[in-house]
This record gives sequence, structure tokens and C-alpha cells, in this order.
Amino acid sequence: MMKTRISTEWLSGCSGCHVAVVDLHDKLLNLLEDVEFVRIPVLMDEKGYPEADVGLVEGAIRSEHDRKALLRMRETCKTLVAFGTCAVYGGPSGIGWLYGKDTILKKIYTDTVTASGDGKFPEGAPELEQSVIPLNEVVDIDFYIPGCPPHPYFIAVALKTLLGASVPAISMKTVCSACNRRMEKREGVKLQRGMSAAPEEDVCFLSQGVICLGSVTLDRCQAQCPNKGIACAGCAGPSIDLITEPHLDIRTMIAKRMSMLTGIDRSEILDYMEKEAKTFYSYALSSPIIYKKPTVEIREWTLN
Amino acid sequence: MIKIIIDEDACVGCELCVDECPTDVFEFNEEKRIPEVVREKECFGCLSCSEICPATAITHEDILHSEEYYHDEENLKLASRLAVDVPLPLVPSDNKHRKAALEDLGIRLLAVASIFRQTLGGSLPAVGTMAGRTLATQLPRYRIPESFQEALDIVVQQFTPAWNIKPDYDGGSKLNMQVKNCFIRELCKEEGIELGGDLCILFYNYLAGYAGKLGNARLKLIKSSPGIKECKYDVEVFVKK
Repeated sequence: MMKTRISTEWLSGCSGCHVAVVDLHDKLLNLLEDVEFVRIPVLMDEKGYPEADVGLVEGAIRSEHDRKALLRMRETCKTLVAFGTCAVYGGPSGIGWLYGKDTILKKIYTDTVTASGDGKFPEGAPELEQSVIPLNEVVDIDFYIPGCPPHPYFIAVALKTLLGASVPAISMKTVCSACNRRMEKREGVKLQRGMSAAPEEDVCFLSQGVICLGSVTLDRCQAQCPNKGIACAGCAGPSIDLITEPHLDIRTMIAKRMSMLTGIDRSEILDYMEKEAKTFYSYALSSPIIYKKPTVEIREWTLN
Repeated sequence: MIKIIIDEDACVGCELCVDECPTDVFEFNEEKRIPEVVREKECFGCLSCSEICPATAITHEDILHSEEYYHDEENLKLASRLAVDVPLPLVPSDNKHRKAALEDLGIRLLAVASIFRQTLGGSLPAVGTMAGRTLATQLPRYRIPESFQEALDIVVQQFTPAWNIKPDYDGGSKLNMQVKNCFIRELCKEEGIELGGDLCILFYNYLAGYAGKLGNARLKLIKSSPGIKECKYDVEVFVKK
């Protein structure tokens, strides 16, 4: 039987998603019975772009090299997968969208105290793009696996689905659906600002006044953070209803749910989330899904 | 009838749907800590419950397709490719539904136009102009057009593909406009309504008001000739200084 050929590429990202593939552990061996990796930068030294059935691309487009590499991947792969939050929505490096290329270069090479002082930009490096660009802005993407990184379970299910095996359907629900905490109404709760812990282990963060993005985030993690006591940071990007409905937004939905649960004034939550927009919007900042929303003005909130 | 399905594994027992439902469809089961659908007949499909649900545990079946047309095509493409073979509840429907929605919109538009005519009589063009001017001041733009020609280019771009407008402007006071594909013309054909009626007058003045406000000019209609394939307008332009 012919093995399915998989080629992977690594653009402006942290390699975490590639490491998540290795996190399949013994399941990776099962997978290797059916697939063959023809190019995988963490494991083998392959400079070219061999023909492949499935291509996994990690990371966003930040430089001219990234763009060219992505176009080569599209040419050589039959099915192209945007792998990880950076590839799908731009990811944490999407914060570059707030400032523009010239501001960033000037800040790093001339304005910083430790800069060499001659004001020169490095030579020979690939040209920086104007902003951080999600993959689907440049090429057509056949499948998306967000997550930072995606949980190995979702990688395995997604790959098997793409290979045509019959597996359970991929969840389209939010992180809350996989969370074991009990969401309940409380009275006299105060809004906790900054990195604060939730004292009770089995009660929802929102009920305890801690902002948790679980209810506006797609479940590609099996709710690992909230189940272990850390509020969701929204790393798998917006949930389906936020993607499809223009008027639903991260801060408005959280404020609505939290004020209904705890009685904290909705505008207090909104104010806080706008002031900390770089934190709460960090994963999908440079995706048009978020910044084109009529309710989002991240540039205005963060420039002050 | 609308059917409401609650995923009991996903539900986190927050009771928000019970609070949010305007028609009291749900009741909370304290023992199981999940909401139960008690008065399903009362549901009129506002989708408030599925919007507020933190765990996306509530789905509806047999629901009217009205919200779909607000969606962004690109975003829907992404959403539908987050999983394979999972039917999205809110993916834009087929052409059949779209056509039905357009017809529905068309009938409403025609009705509105004739109501305006009956109540306002001769002031009908002024309503269209006012609407166009209001749109020009409220629609977000990246920059203000510097000339009337530039304003016309913006108008043409924004009205495509429902309208195919070809303006021929000489830079001075003469403007000839051809309108080829027209959404209203299609409607009038379907409904058997004579061209150049109330809706046409409203639309032309709306277009003129919008272009005029954008390009800082006043447009005076000299002659209009509606046709089955294309409509022509001869317009005199007074650019304000």
C-alpha cells in the first residue's frame, strides 16, 4: 500500500506545533504505518519541497521568505493545512499588526538603548512584510487546525480524517464544553484584575470574578488550562459563533456572561478588557475576523 | 416546528439560557444541573440561548434562515474548514434560499416605495436624496475623495455587483450614466411592474444624493430613459467650491 506523504513547513512560529506532533508518543508509531514524512524541519534536513499529499504549515507570514515558502508548499501539496493558531489567525506575533513595519524596525535598530548606534538595518535578511499575515490571506487553505499548540488528540483526529479514516467528528464547541468546573451564579463577587488565582477548584472562573476566555474560544485543547487551575487565554482563537457572527466579540460576550453570573457591572468588565486588549486579543489580533469586527478598536485602545 | 437540542455532556449548568430566553422555554433541573426544554412550542427562533451559552451546547433544528445573510463569506469558509463533514448550523444556505430571501426583500422594498409615494406625493425624490446623503456621511471611509470623478469611482465600486453603473463624466457639468445590471430591474420583471416607477425614482435619487455628498456636488436630472436592458440618465453636475 502506498503511504500518504506528509510535508511540513515552519514559518514565523515557535516550532511548538511541530513538537506537538511528536507528543503523539506511541500513537505516532501507529500513524507512521500509514504515513511517510517527506519533509519535517524538526526531524530531518530536507531543503527542497518534495511533492506530498498533505502539507502542514506552522506559523504566520512575517517576511518575504515566509511568503515564498508558503507558495512553494501550495504548489507541491495536494491538501494544505494551516496548522496552529499562528497559521490560522496570526498568533501572538500578530501584535506587530498594531505598529507597522517601519515603526518596529526603527524601534529595534535605532531607538533601543542597546542598538549599535549606526542606524543600519541588517543586510541579507529577507525583507519584512508590512504586517503579520495569516496564511489564508495569501493562498487557499483546505483545512484549519488552530490551537497553541493543538492538542495531540486533535492532530491525530484531523490527520486521520484527512487520510480518509473514520474517526469521531472534530469538536466545534467551546473550551467550556470540555471544562469540568461548575458554572454557577454568585453574589458579591469582585472583578479580579491581573494574574489572579481563583480560590475554589471546582467552580468556574467567571463565577469567581476572574476573566477566562473559555466561552469564546474553540476547543482544540480539551480544556487543559482551566481544568488545572489556570484561566483560559484564548489560544485556539475565536469560537465558531464569533467567527460567523460579526456583532459578537470577545469582550462583549465575556462581559455579558460574567455580569449575568456575578452581577458585576458590564461596563467595568468592558473597560478592563479594553485596557488589557493586548492580553485578551493576543492570539487572533492580526486576523481580519477580529480586527474587521465593527465592535473592535484595538488600535485605539492600545495606542493610549 | 423548531426543535431545541441540548448537549448534556457539554452543558456547564450556568442557567444563563433560562434567564436569557424571552419566552421561558427552559426550566432548570436542580438535580441534574442541566436546563430542560419545557415549552418548546413557545420558541420563535431568536437564538438568544445559543448565543449566550458558554459551551455552545444548544442547537436548533428547523429554523428559519434569516440571520445568515449578515455573515462574511471568507469567515464562513474558514469556519466550515475547521472540521470535516460537520454541518455548520449557520453556513449560508443554497441558492434557493438566497433567491427566496431576495424576492422577499424585493417585495418589501416595492411596498415601502409605494407607501412613501402615497404619503409624500411629490416629495419622493427628496427622500431618496436624503437617504443617499445620510449614507455618505455615515458609511466609514478611508479617505475623503478629492474630486467628483473620484467620488463616482467609489460609488461604482460600492454598488457592484448588484448594480453595474457606467458613468461618463466630462469633468465639467455633464454626466451620462448607464445602469446595466440592476437589482431593481430584475425585481420589477419578476413582479410585472413597469420600469421607472416609485422604486426607480427613489433609487436614482439615492444614488445621486450619495455621489453628490461624496463629491461635494449637486446633481440635477435632465432626462431619464429606463429600458429593459439598460437605463440611461443625463445629469447636470454643479460642483461646489
